Amino acid sequence: MILRSKIGIGLIGPAKTTILLSVVFFFAAFAADVTAQKRFSRTFPAGQNVRLNLMNRTGTVEVEGWNRPEIRIVATLEAPAANIVPVSDGGLIDINLVRDNKGRADVGNVNFEVRVPYNASVDIETRIGNLSVSNVRSGLVRANISSDGDITLTNIVANNVSAENGLGDIFFDGVILEGGYYRFSSMRGSIHLRIPFASSFRLIATAPSTRNITLGAFSNRDTTYVSDGRRVVGKFGTGSATLAVTNKLGSITFITR
Amino acid sequence: MNCEECKNLISLFLVSGLDTAEAADVRMHLALCGDCARVCEEMSSFIDVAGDVTPDLVPPNSQALWCRINNIIENEIKPRPVPPSAEAKSGRFWSLSFGQLAASVLCIAIVSSLLTVVVVRSYSVPEAGEFIGKTSADRTIFDKVLGRLGLAETPQQLRERRMKEQQTAIDYWNARVQMRRLQWDRTTREAFDRNLQVIDQSVSEYSMILQRDPEDDLSGEMLDSVMDDKMRLLRDFSDL
Repeated sequence: MILRSKIGIGLIGPAKTTILLSVVFFFAAFAADVTAQKRFSRTFPAGQNVRLNLMNRTGTVEVEGWNRPEIRIVATLEAPAANIVPVSDGGLIDINLVRDNKGRADVGNVNFEVRVPYNASVDIETRIGNLSVSNVRSGLVRANISSDGDITLTNIVANNVSAENGLGDIFFDGVILEGGYYRFSSMRGSIHLRIPFASSFRLIATAPSTRNITLGAFSNRDTTYVSDGRRVVGKFGTGSATLAVTNKLGSITFITR
Repeated sequence: MNCEECKNLISLFLVSGLDTAEAADVRMHLALCGDCARVCEEMSSFIDVAGDVTPDLVPPNSQALWCRINNIIENEIKPRPVPPSAEAKSGRFWSLSFGQLAASVLCIAIVSSLLTVVVVRSYSVPEAGEFIGKTSADRTIFDKVLGRLGLAETPQQLRERRMKEQQTAIDYWNARVQMRRLQWDRTTREAFDRNLQVIDQSVSEYSMILQRDPEDDLSGEMLDSVMDDKMRLLRDFSDL
C-alpha cells in the first residue's frame, strides 16, 4: 500500500504540476492578451441618407449592410490604443483616426467591424490593412488603401464604386448600374470583377506590364486590344456606365455573376 | 494781310507810325475782320487812358511795355481752326479696293485667331485627366503646326512640364516623410518602403520606354499615374 501510494504520488505529482502550470500559463497569456486589447463600441441612429466616412491608420475595416436604421461600430484596439472620436453631423458619421491621433507614433492596429443600413454610402480608407464592404445598395462605395492590403466588395449595388490599393488584390462582386461609374486601380495584385453578363458599360481595362486581361464571357466583337495588347477598350450593351480598370503590374479578370 | 500781320501793326497804326500803304492795308483788314477790329478798339482805349497820365507815370521803357502787351493780347486770341486739307476731304486714306479690304480683314482675323489660340493654350494649366486624354493621335494638324512653330506645347513638352510639377510636390512630401519615418514602427516602415520601391521601379521602367519611344502615349499616361501614386503614398504616410 505504501509502495502503491508512493508510486501513485510519484505518477500523479508531475502530471498535476504540469496541468497546473499549463492553466496558470494559459490564464497569464489570456490576461496579457486582454490587457493588450481594448474594445470600442458605439451605435448611431441613421436616417434615410446616411454616409459613413472612416479613415483608419493601420488595421482592417469590415463594413456590412443590415436591415436596421442605425450604424453600429465595434473596434478592437491593439496597444498602444488609438484615440477614436466619432463625429456625427446630420447624416454623416465621420471617424478619422489619422486626425484623432496626429503626432502620435505609438498607435497600435485598430480593427473595425461596422454595420450600416443597406442604403448607406460608404467611404472607407486605411494606410495599411484589408478593407471589406458587403451588402450595400447606395449611391457610393469607396475603398482606398494607401499601401498594402486587399479590398473585397461583395454584393454591391451602387452608382459610384471606387477601389484603389497599392500592393494587394481587389475583388468586386456586384451590379453595374445604368449611368454608373466604376473604377478599380491597383499597383500590383489581381483584380477580379464579378458582374452580371447583361451589364451595359464602356470598358477601359489597362494592364501595361503583364498584358494579362481576361475578359472571359465578356469578350465580343466590340472589344479591341490597343497599344500592343496593354489595354482593352470595349462597349457592352448600351454602354451607359463607365468601367475603368487599371492594374499596373498585375492582372485583370472578368467573371460572370 | 492776315490777322497776325494786322495785330503786329495795330499798335503802330494807332500811334500813326505806319506809312500810308501799310496803314491802308490795316484799315482794310480791320474793316473786314471783327476780331482784329475789337483788338484795335481795346488797344485804342488803353492808349487814350495812357495819354491822360502825367509824364511822371510814363514807364522808363515804354516801347518794351507795348511789345509785352501786344504779345499778351496775341496769345489770348484763339487760333482759327485750320481748314481740312484737300487730301483728307477726298478720303483717299480709306479708298481701298474691295480685294485689298478683304485681304486686310482676312489677315486681321487669322492673326487675332492665332494669337488667341496661343494665349489660351499658354495660360491654361491642363488637368491630369486632360493630359491623359490628349494623345499624339488626338492632335490636329493645327496643333502640330503650332508645335512646330514653337507656339504650342507638344505632348512630350506637356509631359515634362507635368512631371516637373509632380516632382516638386513629391519632394515636398518626401521631406515631411523623412522627418516622420524614424518614429514609425517596423511594420509601417516596411510597408511604406515596399510600396515606394515598386512605384520607383515603375517610374524608371516607363521613363525608359518613353526615352526609346516618346510617342508611346500609354506609357506616358502610366508614368503620370505612377507619379500621382507616389505623391499620394508620400502624402498619406507623412500624416503618420
